[in-house]
Amino acid sequence: MIGTWISRSRYKLPFGRDASARLLPWIIALMVYLSALGGVGLILLADTLRGWDQSLASAMTLQVPAETSAARMETTLATLRQTAGVVSVNELTADETARLVQPWLGPSVSIASLPLPHLIDIRVDPDATIDFVALRKHLAAIAPGARLDENRSALDRLQHFGVQIQGLIGGGMAVVAVLLVLTVVLTARTGLAIHRPMVEILHLLGAPDRYIAQQFQTHALWLGLRGGIIGALAAAATVVAVVQSAAAASLPLPVASAGLADWRPWGLLVAAALAAGLVAMVTARATIARQLARMP
Amino acid sequence: MVRLENIDKRYDGGAEVLRGVTVALDPGGFYFLTGVSGAGKTTLLELISLAERPTRGTVTLFDTDTAAADRATRAALRRRIGIVFQDFRLVEHLSVRDNVALPLRIAGASEREVRDNVPELLGWLGLGDKGDLRPATLSGGEKQRVAIARAIVRRPDLLLADEPTGNVDDEIAMLLVRVFERINRLGTTVLIATHDIGFTRQFAHERFHLDQGILASANDAEDG
Repeated sequence: MIGTWISRSRYKLPFGRDASARLLPWIIALMVYLSALGGVGLILLADTLRGWDQSLASAMTLQVPAETSAARMETTLATLRQTAGVVSVNELTADETARLVQPWLGPSVSIASLPLPHLIDIRVDPDATIDFVALRKHLAAIAPGARLDENRSALDRLQHFGVQIQGLIGGGMAVVAVLLVLTVVLTARTGLAIHRPMVEILHLLGAPDRYIAQQFQTHALWLGLRGGIIGALAAAATVVAVVQSAAAASLPLPVASAGLADWRPWGLLVAAALAAGLVAMVTARATIARQLARMP
Repeated sequence: MVRLENIDKRYDGGAEVLRGVTVALDPGGFYFLTGVSGAGKTTLLELISLAERPTRGTVTLFDTDTAAADRATRAALRRRIGIVFQDFRLVEHLSVRDNVALPLRIAGASEREVRDNVPELLGWLGLGDKGDLRPATLSGGEKQRVAIARAIVRRPDLLLADEPTGNVDDEIAMLLVRVFERINRLGTTVLIATHDIGFTRQFAHERFHLDQGILASANDAEDG
C-alpha cells in the first residue's frame, strides 16, 4: 500500500508556467519575515518586562536629608530592617554616593562640598505586600524630608504599556496569518483556473480526487516551505544584526545578554517556515477538494 | 459491458440533447455511432465516459449502476475506459511520452512499466522519434495518434473515439480504423462516433445512428 502511494506520488505534474505560483513564495516570505520578527519581538518584550520586574520590583531607595542626625539615621535604618517584606538595608557610604553623582556633575565639581543626602538601598521581597503609604508616613516622622522611591507604580505603568505593545504585535501577526491563508486560497484558485484543462483531463482519465488534490497540495507545500525558508532566513539575518548591534552598544536587551545562544528565536523561525508550508498545503487541499467536488 | 436505458439529457437551460436513448454494447464488440453534427454523439460518449450525468435514465458500466456509484468507484470505472477526444485534449506542457504515460501513472504504475510500454506503443503508432516533443510541435495526424496511444496504453476494456477520422483523409482514416480493429481483437470493446455515415459502410461492424437526440437503426439512416 505504501509502495503504491510512493509510486503514485513520485510523478509530479509540472506547475512551472503558473505565474501566480512563482510569486507566491515571495509573498509568503514577506509575511513569514514580518510574523517571525513580530514573534521574536514578543519574546524580547516579554523578557525585558520580566527583567525589569525582577530588578525594579525588588529595589527601593530612601533619600534622607544630609542634615539628619546620626540618631535619626539609626532609627530609620532599624525601622526599615523591622518592616515585613524588607530583605536587606544598606546605607551607601559617602564615596559610593559620590561615585553615583559624579557622572552627572562632571570632574570639575568638588562633591565633598555638596550637601548630598544619605542614600539607603533597600531590597524587598517582590512578592511581599508592603503598605508604602504608611511606611512613607512613618519614615517622614522619624527623619523629616526623607523620600522613599519605590518603583512599583512606574513598573505597573511600564507593564501595562508592554502588554499593550504585545497585544499590538500579536494582532499584527494574526492579520498577517489571515492574509497568508487568503493569499494561498487565491493562488490555489488561480492555479486551478490555469490548470483546469489538465485537471479535467486527469479527471476524465480516471484520476481519483485524492491524486489530483495531492498534485496541488504537494506543489503548495513546496511553494509555502520555499517562501517560509526565505522569510525565516531573512528574519534570522535581521535578528543576528540586531543582537550584534545591541551587544556592541551594550544595550540592556535580554537577547543581547543571552546572545545568539538563546534557542527560542531560532525555534520560532523554524516553526514559522514549517507553518507557512503547512498552511499553504492544507489551504490548497481544501480549495482543490471543493472545486473537484463540482465535477461529475 | 455498457447499457444505457431510457436516457434523456438536457444541459442547464438548454434544449434536450438526447431523448429516450437505449443502447447496449457487448464485450468485445466493435460499433460505429453515426449522426450529423449536433445529433448528440459527443453527449452520448460523455455519458458513457462519466464526464456527464443523464437528466433521466440509467447508465450501467461493467455491471455497475453509475448513478449509485461513489466518486472513487466512478474514477475506477473511468480508468477502464480509453477515450480519444475530438480535440485530442493533450496536455500542452507535457512531452508526447508523458502525455501517453498519464493513464499509467494515474493508475499507480511504476516508472519501469512506463518505460516498458510507452516507447513500444509510440513505435507501433509511428511516433517512435516523437517522444520528447511537445504536442504543439506535432501535426494534426500525429496529435491524433498520440491521443490514441494515450487511450489504449492501459489496454482498456472499452475504447471510445469521438470523430477520430474527422480531420484526416480517407487513407489515414482507413489506417486508423485498422488500428482500432487490432485493439478490438485484443479484447477491447470499441465505439467510434463519426458524422461520416458513408465511410462506416465500408466495414461490417454494427452501427447506431443518432438523429436529433433519438437513436435510430443504421438502416433508418441509410433509408434517409
